[in-house]
Amino acid sequence: MHTSIDGLDALILNRMQGDFPISEDPYAQIGAALGVSGQEVLLRVRGLVERGVVRKVGPFFDAKKMQYVSTLCALHVPEERLEEVAALINAYPEVTHNYLRAGVPNLWFTVIAESTGAIQEIIREIEEKGGVGPVRDLPAKKMFKVKVDLKVGE
Amino acid sequence: MEKRNIELVRALQNEEIFLTERPFHEAATLLGWTVEEVLQRVRGLKEAGVIRRFGAALTPRNAGFKSNSMIAWDVPDLRAEEAGSLMSEHPRVSHCYIRPRFEGFPFNIYTMVHGNSPEDLARIVDELAALAASSSYRALHSLREFKKSSPVYYPKALEPQDT
Repeated sequence: MHTSIDGLDALILNRMQGDFPISEDPYAQIGAALGVSGQEVLLRVRGLVERGVVRKVGPFFDAKKMQYVSTLCALHVPEERLEEVAALINAYPEVTHNYLRAGVPNLWFTVIAESTGAIQEIIREIEEKGGVGPVRDLPAKKMFKVKVDLKVGE
Repeated sequence: MEKRNIELVRALQNEEIFLTERPFHEAATLLGWTVEEVLQRVRGLKEAGVIRRFGAALTPRNAGFKSNSMIAWDVPDLRAEEAGSLMSEHPRVSHCYIRPRFEGFPFNIYTMVHGNSPEDLARIVDELAALAASSSYRALHSLREFKKSSPVYYPKALEPQDT
């Protein structure tokens, strides 16, 4: 996939990960800084989205400041019950990520909801319906701000 | 949050508008507002940190970062803040959190780390171990993705009844 990202793509990506201009013509502005037209930038971005390099363009909200609560949960699920328990967890719209990972526990998912109570309720239901043991609730005690995003093409 | 900002947040979650030439005009059309109000409120939300970042998010694997992992570190509580702060400044770390330890799992700092190759990843982990002053960690390599989606804030059904 990396081979399909050329120099201009990389310049656009590195610029757009940080600061998308909040203006009437953001793509024209990015283009002006890179010496190409706004249309060219937009075409490139659409191409990057189609190729799965860019997952999303838009705002990333601070869940806490939006008065939402989030957490990371972990539980251990035996191999033969993975599909079923993962589907049970995925069914909650409040669950945004769910990964099978190496080691014990092996299933890690994130929950974002409007209150701690709502998260507790989801965890309780997963424990009850899943029946595979305790769900570890691991809310962040501190979230560090990361300085920059991934530099492409280095 | 103010009702008008909630409406704005809803409109901005229509991701397809950001793949058009004039996204904020599209948002203004959706809302029936002027583009000036949209821009002003978006800037306000960004300044307040409600929007923590505006721009593109990559799928690291497809952007040349073929070796990615969640690494959990065991750092003494007294040094955890300092270690987390140092690790979060590493350019290949995209997320960094202090979380509670639990039975059988003594790790308290979680980092998402992105490398170009397994060797590159190993090199980054060594650098982080030096920054954290800890060689006690577990690499929680992902074996399978069951779900990855964006959270939906203020779904329409939850609209306050004060209209």
